[in-house]
Amino acid sequence: MKRRGKTTSGIHANMTPMIDVTFLLIVFFVVVSQIVDRDTVAMDLPRPDHAASGLPEKAEHVVVNIIPAEDGDIRGFVVAGHELEASALHDVTSIVQTHLQGGAQEVHLRADKTTKYIYIHEVIEAIRAVGSAPRLQLIVSGDER
Amino acid sequence: MIDVVFLLLVYFMVATEFKTAEESFPMDLPLRQGGTLAALDNEPLVILVESSGVQASDVSIRLVGPWDPVVSLQGLSAFLTSNQVSLISMDGLFAQTHPIRIQPTVNTRWEHAVSAYNVVVDANYTNITLDDPS
Repeated sequence: MKRRGKTTSGIHANMTPMIDVTFLLIVFFVVVSQIVDRDTVAMDLPRPDHAASGLPEKAEHVVVNIIPAEDGDIRGFVVAGHELEASALHDVTSIVQTHLQGGAQEVHLRADKTTKYIYIHEVIEAIRAVGSAPRLQLIVSGDER
Repeated sequence: MIDVVFLLLVYFMVATEFKTAEESFPMDLPLRQGGTLAALDNEPLVILVESSGVQASDVSIRLVGPWDPVVSLQGLSAFLTSNQVSLISMDGLFAQTHPIRIQPTVNTRWEHAVSAYNVVVDANYTNITLDDPS
């Protein structure tokens, strides 16, 4: 017996390639979101003309962020994810020392381009106070990649 | 199922923060040694850096010592390059390992201090330190 009513088209879109591509995109974003460095804080890094800087080495490191405030002053620090007040330089030394003893080989110093040098110097001296002569990396803004 | 897959895709696209490429200048941080005197021929070259404005180019430079006046980053670059010891003729005053101390003032903007550091690195000097603020 024949069906009544409208006949359905026999053409169906093949969804399989689209789902494959979509899954690949999901995997990409999952991976990328995992490799973002959570220790860094967004700030306007210095960008010198004709920079002779290079890519930081892949060595294990601890990141010291100097959080900028208005007029070149600072609000505090974020050291290896720990938020500290501007007066807590001793804690900067302690956290950096702990990471260096735990295998870190370098200290990455990130500061806003407007920050006054007096604050940078205080942090450098706090890092020097760990006593093991660590290698410092002054982080600047590179080319957009 | 495709609805859920698209939701997941949108979620991860929104949640992902792309990291801006960063570069660095390496600097050794030796321990302070009190009371040591540098040999006369190895006396560090001291570069004073001061901000004169908020633009990247608003930086003034001065050399400590009996050197020709240098006021800009371009002048500093020319001075460092022209006075570097040449491996061929052995002319020049400073070897690549000559100690160079960059001394910004307390109010110098970090970008200006880094710009001076960059000029010295670009001139192939390797023994560079950021000094106490002047």
